[in-house]
Amino acid sequence: MNTLLEMKAVSHTFADGSAGLHDCSLVLGSGRRHALLGANGAGKTTLLQHLNGLLRPNAGQLLLEGRPYDYGRNGLAQLRRRVGLVFQNPERQLFSAQVEEDVSFGPLNLGLDEATVRARVKAALEAVGLADQARRAVHHLSFGQKKRVCIAGVLAMEPDVLLLDEPMAGLDAPMQEALAALLDRLAARGVTILLSTHDIDFAYGWADDIHLMAGGRVSASGPAQRIGADIDALEAAGQRPPLALALHAHLVTRGVLPAGSGSGTAPRSVDAVLDALRILPFKPLMKTST
Amino acid sequence: MRIETAAYASRWQGVAPSAKALFALGGMGAAWVATRPGTLAVLAAVMALTALVGARVPPRTYMAVALPPLGFLLLSCLTMLVTPGVDGAWHWAASLNPAVLPTVERTALRSLAMLAALLGFVLSTPLPDLLALLRRLRTPELLLDLMALCYRMLFVLRQAWDEGVTAQSARLGYRGWRNAWRSTGLLAGQMAVQVWQRAGALQMAAEARGYQGTLRFLPAVFPQARRQNAWAALAAALLLLAAAGDRL
Repeated sequence: MNTLLEMKAVSHTFADGSAGLHDCSLVLGSGRRHALLGANGAGKTTLLQHLNGLLRPNAGQLLLEGRPYDYGRNGLAQLRRRVGLVFQNPERQLFSAQVEEDVSFGPLNLGLDEATVRARVKAALEAVGLADQARRAVHHLSFGQKKRVCIAGVLAMEPDVLLLDEPMAGLDAPMQEALAALLDRLAARGVTILLSTHDIDFAYGWADDIHLMAGGRVSASGPAQRIGADIDALEAAGQRPPLALALHAHLVTRGVLPAGSGSGTAPRSVDAVLDALRILPFKPLMKTST
Repeated sequence: MRIETAAYASRWQGVAPSAKALFALGGMGAAWVATRPGTLAVLAAVMALTALVGARVPPRTYMAVALPPLGFLLLSCLTMLVTPGVDGAWHWAASLNPAVLPTVERTALRSLAMLAALLGFVLSTPLPDLLALLRRLRTPELLLDLMALCYRMLFVLRQAWDEGVTAQSARLGYRGWRNAWRSTGLLAGQMAVQVWQRAGALQMAAEARGYQGTLRFLPAVFPQARRQNAWAALAAALLLLAAAGDRL
Protein backbone atom coordinates (compact mmCIF):
# COMPACT_ATOMS: atom_id res chain seq x y z
CA MET A 1 0.00 0.00 0.00
CA ASN A 2 1.42 3.40 -1.01
CA THR A 3 1.00 5.95 1.75
CA LEU A 4 -0.42 9.20 0.37
CA LEU A 5 -1.40 11.13 3.49
CA GLU A 6 -0.13 10.66 6.99
CA MET A 7 -0.93 12.21 10.33
CA LYS A 8 1.63 11.72 13.08
CA ALA A 9 0.66 12.24 16.73
CA VAL A 10 -1.36 15.36 15.93
CA SER A 11 -2.97 17.34 18.74
CA HIS A 12 -5.20 20.37 18.35
CA THR A 13 -6.85 22.57 20.95
CA PHE A 14 -9.43 25.16 19.91
CA ALA A 15 -9.32 28.79 21.00
CA ASP A 16 -12.05 28.17 23.61
CA GLY A 17 -9.85 25.52 25.24
CA SER A 18 -11.76 22.46 24.02
CA ALA A 19 -9.65 19.64 22.64
CA GLY A 20 -10.20 18.74 18.98
CA LEU A 21 -7.55 16.09 18.43
CA HIS A 22 -5.31 14.37 20.92
CA ASP A 23 -2.22 12.44 19.83
CA CYS A 24 -4.02 11.41 16.64
CA SER A 25 -2.26 9.32 13.99
CA LEU A 26 -3.62 8.11 10.67
CA VAL A 27 -2.25 6.67 7.46
CA LEU A 28 -4.20 6.87 4.19
CA GLY A 29 -3.22 4.47 1.43
CA SER A 30 -3.33 5.77 -2.13
CA GLY A 31 -6.33 4.91 -4.33
CA ARG A 32 -8.31 3.29 -1.51
CA ARG A 33 -11.73 3.94 -0.04
CA HIS A 34 -11.45 4.97 3.59
CA ALA A 35 -14.25 5.45 6.12
CA LEU A 36 -13.76 7.46 9.29
CA LEU A 37 -16.19 6.14 11.85
CA GLY A 38 -16.94 7.79 15.15
CA ALA A 39 -19.61 9.19 17.45
CA ASN A 40 -20.55 12.88 17.57
CA GLY A 41 -17.71 14.94 18.98
CA ALA A 42 -15.12 12.25 18.28
CA GLY A 43 -13.10 14.72 16.20
CA LYS A 44 -13.93 13.59 12.65
CA THR A 45 -14.52 17.08 11.22
CA THR A 46 -11.44 18.46 12.98
CA LEU A 47 -9.34 15.67 11.49
CA LEU A 48 -10.66 16.35 7.97
CA GLN A 49 -9.97 20.07 8.34
CA HIS A 50 -6.39 19.27 9.35
CA LEU A 51 -5.93 17.10 6.27
CA ASN A 52 -7.08 19.98 4.03
CA GLY A 53 -4.83 22.46 5.86
CA LEU A 54 -7.70 24.55 7.23
CA LEU A 55 -6.53 23.83 10.78
CA ARG A 56 -2.93 23.56 11.92
CA PRO A 57 -1.85 21.12 14.58
CA ASN A 58 -0.60 22.42 17.95
CA ALA A 59 1.61 19.36 18.08
CA GLY A 60 2.49 16.57 15.66
CA GLN A 61 2.91 16.56 11.92
CA LEU A 62 1.02 16.00 8.69
CA LEU A 63 2.68 14.55 5.60
CA LEU A 64 1.68 14.40 1.95
CA GLU A 65 3.65 11.74 0.06
CA GLY A 66 6.18 11.75 2.89
CA ARG A 67 6.75 15.52 2.84
CA PRO A 68 5.57 17.70 5.75
CA TYR A 69 2.71 20.09 4.98
CA ASP A 70 3.81 23.52 3.79
CA TYR A 71 1.52 26.11 5.40
CA GLY A 72 2.81 28.97 3.25
CA ARG A 73 0.47 30.60 0.70
CA ASN A 74 1.77 28.57 -2.25
CA GLY A 75 2.08 25.41 -0.20
CA LEU A 76 -1.55 25.61 0.91
CA ALA A 77 -2.74 26.33 -2.63
CA GLN A 78 -0.85 23.25 -3.85
CA LEU A 79 -2.17 21.14 -0.95
CA ARG A 80 -5.80 22.14 -1.57
CA ARG A 81 -5.46 21.37 -5.24
CA ARG A 82 -4.52 17.81 -4.31
CA VAL A 83 -6.68 17.35 -1.20
CA GLY A 84 -10.29 18.51 -1.65
CA LEU A 85 -12.80 18.80 1.19
CA VAL A 86 -16.59 18.62 0.88
CA PHE A 87 -18.34 20.10 3.92
CA GLN A 88 -21.28 18.51 5.69
CA ASN A 89 -23.73 21.37 5.30
CA PRO A 90 -24.01 22.59 1.70
CA GLU A 91 -25.49 25.91 2.83
CA ARG A 92 -22.16 26.64 4.42
CA GLN A 93 -20.13 25.79 1.35
CA LEU A 94 -22.08 27.28 -1.55
CA PHE A 95 -21.79 31.03 -1.81
CA SER A 96 -22.30 31.70 -5.47
CA ALA A 97 -25.70 32.37 -6.92
CA GLN A 98 -25.51 29.94 -9.82
CA VAL A 99 -24.50 26.27 -9.98
CA GLU A 100 -21.96 26.68 -12.79
CA GLU A 101 -20.42 29.73 -11.13
CA ASP A 102 -19.95 27.98 -7.81
CA VAL A 103 -18.36 24.91 -9.39
CA SER A 104 -15.95 27.15 -11.31
CA PHE A 105 -14.73 28.88 -8.14
CA GLY A 106 -12.08 26.30 -7.19
CA PRO A 107 -10.52 25.73 -10.64
CA LEU A 108 -10.38 29.51 -11.27
CA ASN A 109 -8.48 29.86 -8.00
CA LEU A 110 -5.95 27.38 -9.38
CA GLY A 111 -5.16 29.92 -12.09
CA LEU A 112 -6.43 27.76 -14.97
CA ASP A 113 -7.50 29.34 -18.24
CA GLU A 114 -11.20 29.80 -19.02
CA ALA A 115 -11.45 26.96 -21.57
CA THR A 116 -9.93 24.44 -19.14
CA VAL A 117 -12.17 25.66 -16.31
CA ARG A 118 -15.23 25.36 -18.53
CA ALA A 119 -14.28 21.79 -19.50
CA ARG A 120 -13.67 20.84 -15.87
CA VAL A 121 -16.95 22.37 -14.70
CA LYS A 122 -18.82 20.46 -17.40
CA ALA A 123 -17.11 17.17 -16.51
CA ALA A 124 -17.68 17.67 -12.76
CA LEU A 125 -21.37 18.45 -13.23
CA GLU A 126 -21.74 15.43 -15.51
CA ALA A 127 -20.03 13.25 -12.89
CA VAL A 128 -22.60 14.23 -10.24
CA GLY A 129 -25.53 14.07 -12.68
CA LEU A 130 -26.26 17.80 -12.70
CA ALA A 131 -25.16 18.73 -16.22
CA ASP A 132 -28.66 20.00 -17.02
CA GLN A 133 -28.79 22.21 -13.91
CA ALA A 134 -25.67 24.27 -14.70
CA ARG A 135 -27.53 27.57 -15.11
CA ARG A 136 -29.95 27.14 -12.21
CA ALA A 137 -29.87 29.29 -9.11
CA VAL A 138 -28.36 27.47 -6.14
CA HIS A 139 -31.28 28.39 -3.88
CA HIS A 140 -33.71 26.67 -6.25
CA LEU A 141 -32.03 23.27 -5.74
CA SER A 142 -33.04 20.54 -3.30
CA PHE A 143 -30.77 19.61 -0.38
CA GLY A 144 -29.46 16.54 -2.22
CA GLN A 145 -28.75 18.56 -5.36
CA LYS A 146 -26.90 21.20 -3.31
CA LYS A 147 -24.80 18.45 -1.81
CA ARG A 148 -23.92 17.20 -5.29
CA VAL A 149 -22.99 20.74 -6.36
CA CYS A 150 -20.61 20.85 -3.38
CA ILE A 151 -18.99 17.62 -4.53
CA ALA A 152 -18.78 18.91 -8.12
CA GLY A 153 -17.11 22.09 -6.82
CA VAL A 154 -14.32 20.00 -5.35
CA LEU A 155 -14.17 17.45 -8.20
CA ALA A 156 -13.60 20.30 -10.67
CA MET A 157 -10.28 20.89 -8.91
CA GLU A 158 -9.36 17.27 -9.83
CA PRO A 159 -7.96 16.37 -6.41
CA ASP A 160 -5.98 13.20 -5.71
CA VAL A 161 -7.70 12.90 -2.35
CA LEU A 162 -11.38 13.61 -1.76
CA LEU A 163 -12.43 14.23 1.84
CA LEU A 164 -16.17 14.18 2.55
CA ASP A 165 -17.61 15.21 5.91
CA GLU A 166 -20.66 13.01 6.53
CA PRO A 167 -21.79 13.02 2.89
CA MET A 168 -24.77 10.75 3.52
CA ALA A 169 -26.31 12.96 6.23
CA GLY A 170 -29.71 14.25 5.19
CA LEU A 171 -29.93 12.20 1.99
CA ASP A 172 -32.70 9.70 1.31
CA ALA A 173 -31.92 6.07 0.41
CA PRO A 174 -31.90 6.46 -3.42
CA MET A 175 -29.69 9.54 -3.14
CA GLN A 176 -27.33 7.68 -0.81
CA GLU A 177 -27.10 4.87 -3.36
CA ALA A 178 -26.43 7.37 -6.17
CA LEU A 179 -23.73 9.05 -4.10
CA ALA A 180 -22.12 5.71 -3.23
CA ALA A 181 -22.10 4.83 -6.94
CA LEU A 182 -20.45 8.18 -7.72
CA LEU A 183 -17.79 7.58 -5.07
CA ASP A 184 -17.18 4.11 -6.51
CA ARG A 185 -16.64 5.62 -9.96
CA LEU A 186 -14.18 8.12 -8.50
CA ALA A 187 -12.35 5.39 -6.62
CA ALA A 188 -12.15 3.38 -9.84
CA ARG A 189 -10.41 6.40 -11.41
CA GLY A 190 -7.77 6.20 -8.70
CA VAL A 191 -9.05 8.99 -6.42
CA THR A 192 -8.33 8.33 -2.75
CA ILE A 193 -11.52 8.88 -0.76
CA LEU A 194 -11.92 9.46 2.95
CA LEU A 195 -15.44 10.01 4.24
CA SER A 196 -16.64 10.46 7.79
CA THR A 197 -19.82 8.70 8.85
CA HIS A 198 -21.85 7.44 11.80
CA ASP A 199 -23.20 4.55 9.74
CA ILE A 200 -21.15 1.43 10.41
CA ASP A 201 -23.21 -0.67 7.99
CA PHE A 202 -22.42 1.68 5.13
CA ALA A 203 -18.76 1.96 6.18
CA TYR A 204 -18.40 -1.80 6.43
CA GLY A 205 -20.08 -2.42 3.09
CA TRP A 206 -18.36 0.32 1.13
CA ALA A 207 -14.89 1.03 2.50
CA ASP A 208 -11.61 -0.79 1.91
CA ASP A 209 -10.27 0.56 5.21
CA ILE A 210 -12.07 1.70 8.34
CA HIS A 211 -10.58 4.13 10.86
CA LEU A 212 -12.33 4.28 14.22
CA MET A 213 -12.27 7.57 16.12
CA ALA A 214 -12.96 8.25 19.78
CA GLY A 215 -11.93 11.06 22.10
CA GLY A 216 -10.04 13.01 19.44
CA ARG A 217 -7.83 10.18 18.24
CA VAL A 218 -7.92 7.28 15.80
CA SER A 219 -8.33 4.27 18.05
CA ALA A 220 -8.13 1.55 15.40
CA SER A 221 -7.37 1.36 11.69
CA GLY A 222 -7.32 -1.46 9.21
CA PRO A 223 -9.11 -3.35 6.45
CA ALA A 224 -12.88 -3.08 6.80
CA GLN A 225 -13.38 -6.82 7.34
CA ARG A 226 -10.88 -6.95 10.18
CA ILE A 227 -12.14 -3.80 11.93
CA GLY A 228 -15.79 -4.83 11.40
CA ALA A 229 -15.13 -8.10 13.20
CA ASP A 230 -13.15 -6.50 16.05
CA ILE A 231 -15.91 -6.21 18.66
CA ASP A 232 -13.61 -4.74 21.34
CA ALA A 233 -12.30 -1.96 19.08
CA LEU A 234 -15.84 -1.15 17.93
CA GLU A 235 -17.12 -1.00 21.50
CA ALA A 236 -14.26 1.27 22.52
CA ALA A 237 -15.31 3.67 19.76
CA GLY A 238 -18.99 3.45 20.75
CA GLN A 239 -19.98 1.43 17.71
CA ARG A 240 -22.06 -1.72 17.35
CA PRO A 241 -20.97 -4.59 15.06
CA PRO A 242 -22.13 -4.35 11.44
CA LEU A 243 -25.63 -5.74 10.95
CA ALA A 244 -24.48 -8.00 8.10
CA LEU A 245 -21.89 -9.67 10.32
CA ALA A 246 -24.28 -10.07 13.25
CA LEU A 247 -26.98 -11.56 11.01
CA HIS A 248 -24.50 -13.85 9.32
CA ALA A 249 -23.16 -15.04 12.69
CA HIS A 250 -26.69 -15.87 13.89
CA LEU A 251 -27.50 -17.80 10.71
CA VAL A 252 -24.23 -19.74 10.98
CA THR A 253 -24.88 -20.53 14.67
CA ARG A 254 -28.32 -21.88 13.80
CA GLY A 255 -26.89 -23.96 10.98
CA VAL A 256 -28.76 -22.11 8.23
CA LEU A 257 -25.60 -20.89 6.53
CA PRO A 258 -22.26 -22.65 6.49
CA ALA A 259 -19.38 -20.81 8.15
CA GLY A 260 -17.45 -18.79 5.59
CA SER A 261 -20.35 -18.62 3.10
CA GLY A 262 -20.54 -15.71 0.66
CA SER A 263 -17.51 -16.18 -1.60
CA GLY A 264 -15.50 -17.66 1.22
CA THR A 265 -15.44 -14.56 3.40
CA ALA A 266 -17.84 -12.84 5.79
CA PRO A 267 -20.52 -10.92 3.86
CA ARG A 268 -20.11 -7.13 3.64
CA SER A 269 -23.79 -6.23 3.54
CA VAL A 270 -27.23 -7.53 4.46
CA ASP A 271 -27.88 -7.90 0.72
CA ALA A 272 -24.87 -10.23 0.49
CA VAL A 273 -26.31 -12.34 3.36
CA LEU A 274 -29.64 -12.51 1.52
CA ASP A 275 -27.83 -13.56 -1.65
CA ALA A 276 -26.13 -16.35 0.32
CA LEU A 277 -29.56 -17.47 1.59
CA ARG A 278 -31.08 -17.37 -1.90
CA ILE A 279 -28.59 -19.84 -3.34
CA LEU A 280 -29.37 -22.41 -0.63
CA PRO A 281 -31.61 -25.29 -1.75
CA PHE A 282 -35.23 -24.53 -0.84
CA LYS A 283 -36.46 -26.60 2.09
CA PRO A 284 -40.09 -26.06 3.09
CA LEU A 285 -40.65 -25.82 6.83
CA MET A 286 -41.85 -29.10 8.38
CA LYS A 287 -45.02 -28.86 10.41
CA THR A 288 -44.42 -30.06 13.94
CA SER A 289 -47.25 -31.85 15.68
CA THR A 290 -47.86 -31.00 19.32
CA MET B 1 -38.29 37.42 -4.42
CA ARG B 2 -40.96 38.08 -7.06
CA ILE B 3 -38.40 39.71 -9.35
CA GLU B 4 -36.09 36.73 -8.87
CA THR B 5 -38.80 34.16 -9.64
CA ALA B 6 -40.02 36.08 -12.70
CA ALA B 7 -36.47 36.46 -14.04
CA TYR B 8 -35.83 32.71 -13.86
CA ALA B 9 -39.22 31.86 -15.37
CA SER B 10 -38.92 34.46 -18.14
CA ARG B 11 -38.84 33.31 -21.77
CA TRP B 12 -35.88 35.60 -22.24
CA GLN B 13 -33.80 34.09 -19.46
CA GLY B 14 -31.49 32.56 -22.06
CA VAL B 15 -31.15 35.80 -24.04
CA ALA B 16 -27.80 37.55 -23.62
CA PRO B 17 -28.09 40.11 -20.78
CA SER B 18 -26.12 42.56 -22.93
CA ALA B 19 -28.91 42.46 -25.53
CA LYS B 20 -31.60 43.03 -22.90
CA ALA B 21 -29.57 45.85 -21.36
CA LEU B 22 -29.08 47.43 -24.79
CA PHE B 23 -32.82 47.36 -25.47
CA ALA B 24 -33.62 48.76 -22.01
CA LEU B 25 -31.03 51.51 -22.49
CA GLY B 26 -32.56 52.30 -25.87
CA GLY B 27 -35.98 52.62 -24.21
CA MET B 28 -34.62 54.85 -21.46
CA GLY B 29 -32.73 56.99 -23.94
CA ALA B 30 -35.86 57.36 -26.07
CA ALA B 31 -37.89 58.37 -23.00
CA TRP B 32 -35.28 60.99 -22.25
CA VAL B 33 -35.30 62.34 -25.82
CA ALA B 34 -39.08 62.27 -26.47
CA THR B 35 -41.07 65.37 -25.54
CA ARG B 36 -44.66 64.77 -26.68
CA PRO B 37 -46.95 63.10 -24.14
CA GLY B 38 -48.34 60.82 -26.86
CA THR B 39 -44.88 59.55 -27.81
CA LEU B 40 -43.96 58.98 -24.17
CA ALA B 41 -47.21 57.08 -23.54
CA VAL B 42 -46.61 54.88 -26.60
CA LEU B 43 -43.02 54.27 -25.44
CA ALA B 44 -44.19 53.20 -22.00
CA ALA B 45 -46.79 50.91 -23.56
CA VAL B 46 -44.25 49.38 -25.97
CA MET B 47 -41.74 48.68 -23.18
CA ALA B 48 -44.41 47.20 -20.91
CA LEU B 49 -45.88 45.04 -23.68
CA THR B 50 -42.41 43.82 -24.63
CA ALA B 51 -41.93 42.54 -21.08
CA LEU B 52 -45.42 41.05 -20.83
CA VAL B 53 -45.70 39.51 -24.30
CA GLY B 54 -42.07 39.10 -25.39
CA ALA B 55 -40.47 38.02 -22.14
CA ARG B 56 -43.74 36.47 -20.85
CA VAL B 57 -43.60 38.13 -17.45
CA PRO B 58 -46.90 37.32 -15.67
CA PRO B 59 -49.09 40.49 -15.55
CA ARG B 60 -49.81 39.97 -11.83
CA THR B 61 -46.06 39.89 -11.04
CA TYR B 62 -45.46 42.88 -13.28
CA MET B 63 -48.10 44.93 -11.47
CA ALA B 64 -46.94 43.80 -8.02
CA VAL B 65 -43.36 44.88 -8.79
CA ALA B 66 -44.47 48.11 -10.50
CA LEU B 67 -46.82 49.24 -7.70
CA PRO B 68 -44.24 50.61 -5.21
CA PRO B 69 -42.45 52.84 -7.78
CA LEU B 70 -45.84 53.84 -9.22
CA GLY B 71 -46.93 54.92 -5.75
CA PHE B 72 -43.75 56.94 -5.43
CA LEU B 73 -44.39 58.50 -8.84
CA LEU B 74 -47.98 59.38 -7.85
CA LEU B 75 -46.76 61.03 -4.67
CA SER B 76 -44.15 63.00 -6.60
CA CYS B 77 -46.76 64.21 -9.11
CA LEU B 78 -49.09 65.27 -6.30
CA THR B 79 -46.37 67.34 -4.69
CA MET B 80 -45.90 69.07 -8.05
CA LEU B 81 -49.63 69.68 -8.40
CA VAL B 82 -50.16 71.10 -4.92
CA THR B 83 -48.16 74.10 -3.83
CA PRO B 84 -48.28 76.55 -0.89
CA GLY B 85 -49.51 80.05 -1.81
CA VAL B 86 -48.37 83.43 -0.47
CA ASP B 87 -51.31 83.33 1.97
CA GLY B 88 -49.84 80.20 3.59
CA ALA B 89 -52.67 77.92 2.34
CA TRP B 90 -52.33 74.99 -0.09
CA HIS B 91 -53.42 75.60 -3.69
CA TRP B 92 -53.58 73.61 -6.92
CA ALA B 93 -50.45 74.62 -8.78
CA ALA B 94 -52.43 74.68 -12.05
CA SER B 95 -54.68 77.45 -10.77
CA LEU B 96 -51.61 79.62 -10.04
CA ASN B 97 -49.64 78.65 -13.13
CA PRO B 98 -51.44 76.70 -15.90
CA ALA B 99 -48.10 75.81 -17.56
CA VAL B 100 -47.34 73.40 -14.76
CA LEU B 101 -49.83 70.75 -15.93
CA PRO B 102 -48.01 69.79 -19.17
CA THR B 103 -44.76 69.63 -17.19
CA VAL B 104 -46.29 67.25 -14.66
CA GLU B 105 -47.83 65.19 -17.46
CA ARG B 106 -44.52 64.94 -19.32
CA THR B 107 -42.55 64.11 -16.19
CA ALA B 108 -45.02 61.40 -15.15
CA LEU B 109 -45.10 59.78 -18.60
CA ARG B 110 -41.33 59.98 -18.97
CA SER B 111 -40.87 58.33 -15.58
CA LEU B 112 -43.41 55.70 -16.55
CA ALA B 113 -41.55 54.89 -19.77
CA MET B 114 -38.22 54.73 -17.92
CA LEU B 115 -39.75 52.47 -15.27
CA ALA B 116 -41.21 50.16 -17.96
CA ALA B 117 -37.80 49.91 -19.65
CA LEU B 118 -36.07 49.07 -16.38
CA LEU B 119 -38.73 46.57 -15.28
CA GLY B 120 -38.51 44.75 -18.61
CA PHE B 121 -34.80 44.28 -18.01
CA VAL B 122 -34.81 43.21 -14.35
CA LEU B 123 -37.84 40.93 -14.72
CA SER B 124 -36.14 38.93 -17.48
CA THR B 125 -32.54 38.89 -16.20
CA PRO B 126 -31.47 36.77 -13.20
CA LEU B 127 -29.08 38.60 -10.91
CA PRO B 128 -26.10 36.30 -11.66
CA ASP B 129 -26.39 37.26 -15.36
CA LEU B 130 -26.56 40.91 -14.38
CA LEU B 131 -23.44 40.49 -12.23
CA ALA B 132 -21.65 38.81 -15.13
CA LEU B 133 -22.60 41.73 -17.37
CA LEU B 134 -21.37 44.25 -14.80
CA ARG B 135 -18.13 42.28 -14.54
CA ARG B 136 -17.68 42.53 -18.30
CA LEU B 137 -18.32 46.26 -18.04
CA ARG B 138 -15.39 46.42 -15.56
CA THR B 139 -17.38 47.26 -12.44
CA PRO B 140 -15.04 47.15 -9.40
CA GLU B 141 -14.57 43.53 -8.26
CA LEU B 142 -15.10 44.36 -4.61
CA LEU B 143 -18.55 45.76 -5.32
CA LEU B 144 -19.49 42.69 -7.38
CA ASP B 145 -18.18 40.31 -4.68
CA LEU B 146 -20.31 42.11 -2.13
CA MET B 147 -23.36 41.91 -4.40
CA ALA B 148 -22.82 38.19 -5.03
CA LEU B 149 -22.37 37.39 -1.34
CA CYS B 150 -25.32 39.54 -0.23
CA TYR B 151 -27.52 37.93 -2.86
CA ARG B 152 -26.59 34.41 -1.72
CA MET B 153 -26.78 35.26 1.99
CA LEU B 154 -30.25 36.71 1.48
CA PHE B 155 -31.58 33.27 0.62
CA VAL B 156 -29.49 31.47 3.23
CA LEU B 157 -30.69 33.80 5.97
CA ARG B 158 -34.27 33.69 4.80
CA GLN B 159 -34.14 29.90 5.04
CA ALA B 160 -32.55 30.12 8.51
CA TRP B 161 -35.23 32.61 9.60
CA ASP B 162 -38.07 30.43 8.25
CA GLU B 163 -36.63 27.36 9.99
CA GLY B 164 -36.33 29.33 13.24
CA VAL B 165 -39.93 30.54 13.03
CA THR B 166 -41.14 27.00 12.28
CA ALA B 167 -39.18 25.59 15.22
CA GLN B 168 -40.56 28.27 17.54
CA SER B 169 -44.13 27.79 16.28
CA ALA B 170 -43.87 24.05 16.92
CA ARG B 171 -43.22 24.89 20.59
CA LEU B 172 -46.08 27.43 20.77
CA GLY B 173 -43.70 30.35 20.40
CA TYR B 174 -46.30 32.45 18.57
CA ARG B 175 -49.28 31.79 20.82
CA GLY B 176 -50.45 35.25 21.78
CA TRP B 177 -48.87 38.55 20.88
CA ARG B 178 -46.60 38.64 23.94
CA ASN B 179 -45.09 35.27 23.01
CA ALA B 180 -44.83 36.30 19.37
CA TRP B 181 -42.85 39.44 20.22
CA ARG B 182 -40.61 37.50 22.59
CA SER B 183 -39.96 34.76 20.01
CA THR B 184 -39.24 37.28 17.27
CA GLY B 185 -36.79 39.10 19.52
CA LEU B 186 -35.05 35.88 20.51
CA LEU B 187 -34.81 34.79 16.89
CA ALA B 188 -33.47 38.18 15.77
CA GLY B 189 -30.77 37.94 18.45
CA GLN B 190 -29.95 34.39 17.42
CA MET B 191 -29.75 35.41 13.76
CA ALA B 192 -26.89 37.77 14.59
CA VAL B 193 -24.94 34.80 15.96
CA GLN B 194 -25.95 32.69 12.97
CA VAL B 195 -24.79 35.36 10.53
CA TRP B 196 -21.44 35.44 12.30
CA GLN B 197 -21.11 31.65 12.25
CA ARG B 198 -22.21 31.33 8.63
CA ALA B 199 -19.82 34.05 7.53
CA GLY B 200 -17.00 32.14 9.26
CA ALA B 201 -18.11 28.86 7.66
CA LEU B 202 -18.26 30.42 4.18
CA GLN B 203 -14.79 31.86 4.64
CA MET B 204 -13.50 28.42 5.62
CA ALA B 205 -15.27 26.76 2.68
CA ALA B 206 -13.77 29.32 0.29
CA GLU B 207 -10.29 28.73 1.70
CA ALA B 208 -10.72 24.98 1.27
CA ARG B 209 -11.12 25.67 -2.47
CA GLY B 210 -8.07 27.86 -2.78
CA TYR B 211 -9.61 31.31 -2.06
CA GLN B 212 -6.90 33.96 -2.26
CA GLY B 213 -8.74 37.21 -1.70
CA THR B 214 -10.91 37.51 -4.81
CA LEU B 215 -14.14 35.67 -5.58
CA ARG B 216 -13.72 34.49 -9.13
CA PHE B 217 -16.53 32.82 -11.07
CA LEU B 218 -16.93 31.57 -14.61
CA PRO B 219 -19.15 33.86 -16.68
CA ALA B 220 -22.13 32.26 -18.43
CA VAL B 221 -21.90 31.80 -22.19
CA PHE B 222 -24.63 33.01 -24.54
CA PRO B 223 -23.90 31.51 -27.97
CA GLN B 224 -26.46 33.72 -29.75
CA ALA B 225 -25.22 36.91 -28.05
CA ARG B 226 -23.90 38.55 -31.22
CA ARG B 227 -27.15 38.09 -33.14
CA GLN B 228 -29.27 39.07 -30.13
CA ASN B 229 -27.18 42.19 -29.54
CA ALA B 230 -27.65 43.20 -33.18
CA TRP B 231 -31.45 42.81 -32.93
CA ALA B 232 -31.51 44.70 -29.63
CA ALA B 233 -29.39 47.51 -31.08
CA LEU B 234 -31.74 47.75 -34.06
CA ALA B 235 -34.82 47.91 -31.79
CA ALA B 236 -33.14 50.49 -29.55
CA ALA B 237 -32.21 52.59 -32.59
CA LEU B 238 -35.83 52.50 -33.83
CA LEU B 239 -37.07 53.65 -30.42
CA LEU B 240 -34.54 56.47 -30.38
CA LEU B 241 -35.47 57.49 -33.94
CA ALA B 242 -39.17 57.58 -33.06
CA ALA B 243 -38.40 59.69 -30.01
CA ALA B 244 -36.09 62.01 -31.95
CA GLY B 245 -39.04 62.78 -34.27
CA ASP B 246 -40.49 64.85 -31.41
CA ARG B 247 -37.56 67.25 -31.54
CA LEU B 248 -37.59 67.82 -35.31
